[in-house]
Amino acid sequence: MKNYPVLTYVLKRIGLYIFTIWGAFTIAFVFFHSVPGDPISAYVATMEAQYSYKIPDADVVIAEYKKMMGLDGTLLQQYFRYLENVLLKFNLGPSFLSFPTPAEKYIFEALPWTVGLLGIATLISWTLGFTIGGIMGWRRDSPIAAGITNLALIFSQIPAYFMGLALLFIFAYGLLWFPRRGAFDPGIAKAFNWDFISSVIQHGALPALSLVLVSAFGWLISTRAIVVSILGEDYLVYAKAKGLTGGAILRHYVLRNAMLPQVTGLALSLGFVLNGAYLIETLFQYPGMGTLFLSSLAMLDYNTTQGIMLMSIALVLTATLLLDLLMPLVDPRVAREGKG
Amino acid sequence: MELRHILFRSRLLLVGLSILGVLILIALLQPVLNRLLIGDINPVSMGTYKAYEEVSPQHPLGTDRWGRDWLALLILGLRYSLIIGALAGVAATFIAVILGFVAGYKGGRTDAAMRTFTDMVLVIPSWPILVTMASYIKGLSIPLMALLLALFSWAFGMRTIRSQVLSLRAQPYVDLAKVSNLKDREIIFQELIPNLLPYIGVAFAATTVGAILAETGLELIGLGPGGNIITLGLMVNFALRWGALALGKVELVFAPVLMLILIFVSMNLINIGLEEVFNPRLKRVTGG
Repeated sequence: MKNYPVLTYVLKRIGLYIFTIWGAFTIAFVFFHSVPGDPISAYVATMEAQYSYKIPDADVVIAEYKKMMGLDGTLLQQYFRYLENVLLKFNLGPSFLSFPTPAEKYIFEALPWTVGLLGIATLISWTLGFTIGGIMGWRRDSPIAAGITNLALIFSQIPAYFMGLALLFIFAYGLLWFPRRGAFDPGIAKAFNWDFISSVIQHGALPALSLVLVSAFGWLISTRAIVVSILGEDYLVYAKAKGLTGGAILRHYVLRNAMLPQVTGLALSLGFVLNGAYLIETLFQYPGMGTLFLSSLAMLDYNTTQGIMLMSIALVLTATLLLDLLMPLVDPRVAREGKG
Repeated sequence: MELRHILFRSRLLLVGLSILGVLILIALLQPVLNRLLIGDINPVSMGTYKAYEEVSPQHPLGTDRWGRDWLALLILGLRYSLIIGALAGVAATFIAVILGFVAGYKGGRTDAAMRTFTDMVLVIPSWPILVTMASYIKGLSIPLMALLLALFSWAFGMRTIRSQVLSLRAQPYVDLAKVSNLKDREIIFQELIPNLLPYIGVAFAATTVGAILAETGLELIGLGPGGNIITLGLMVNFALRWGALALGKVELVFAPVLMLILIFVSMNLINIGLEEVFNPRLKRVTGG
């Protein structure tokens, strides 16, 4: 193995990935099973309370459904069944929202909306923040740059939800420029035509903008910090001595070097994309993972809730794995460290 | 370093501390301010005034749907939000310091195991777990809420403190202390903790902000402690449920929102300021 440092690195990293997935899924299992009372009994109790009707033989019903949901047997049996279902068969079990439709179906219906909205918003914020942050670092002594940086320090701390509230109030309730809720006009048939796409864009504009306005400022601050730390490097003095123009130095020397850590950050935040969705989606009633999560929680839909959680864990871990495997290809310094 | 020097080394720290200081003062003076505003009336009790009164000298922020003076409620909400945040911040910092110390000081296998565990906790998305827990636990009390929030926010601070302990442990004066036969406990409390105070401060500020943010998020989707515990997040939730945006009652929504933004911005300025002062490489990097 000593002769194949790259292979060793890759195998070690993949081993760590599998171990972390197992650990995180086990923590999730322990967590869901430490919740007092079991979900089926709670569900039956809620139904009984709702219709003020005592279900005869409720115990039998509960036992039957527990079996169907894989909640019978000892905790250890349940644990191994859970690992087998979730990790090997990618089977999250039936949803309660509309039994027996599998929970995956709901999750995969909601996923594109969240990934589309948050993915695009993240990419836009990154591009804006990186470009403007680079220029602010480059011109760090000008009063305009100082002003914008101080503004960014404040704006980057406003939760996106509040930004969304302000935008909603101004543009959807005051000026009536944008719709208030949903992801598209329900009167328009879902189809790949301009009517539907423009409706999706109109509905997505405000939630996306509220995310962009906050996180672009965050990227601006971190990019500026990296650029300022690069400005003292010797190779910039050399570039200047060669007679390169300021613009060329900024593009080819400063921004290129700032790019690497920021691309890493971008990949990470794309991995965490599901986490940003919960509150913003609730505010705009956007039919994504965040909304599904809250409605499944309110309906005591155990399998869907758990499925969304496992999904976001897996997404984050996979993103970090890909990043660690791809970084050595992009940045020779990381590869050398890996070997050393 | 003298406190006065620390404050004036960083303008951001000064601004942040001033804003936060005013907010804390308002929260501390809540009983007095309440008496000045509405007399001996409990700000939470309903039907004291007419519903939805306009902004006036008697009611600087108007009244809400249940006839409560919104400014008096806002000050109470600020008090509860800060209490929950500070309690969670203390608890999370405590966990972070203990674990960070053990990992950094013991080193070796203990350190490796604890670091792997912390990394795992860091990548597990905490928000959905927090929401699930809060929705299953009925009748959250303030300390329980704070503990729940702390359980999800210690990991980042633990990493900072661990790496600082690791680098401090290698300093010559720690070796000297060891050679002069000081006990581990004495080394930790007399040599290490004083040098770590700024990092503990940063961890505290960061976890407190995180806790208030998470608490607000839980309140926004209706999962707070409830009852008479009015927090700023719950006030936003109330206002939105009443359709304050459509009614044009801007002050009901945006007064608590602005208060929360002031908390977040001031604590973040304190954080950046502390780093500027104690990590001089960062000086001027953040524009201060």
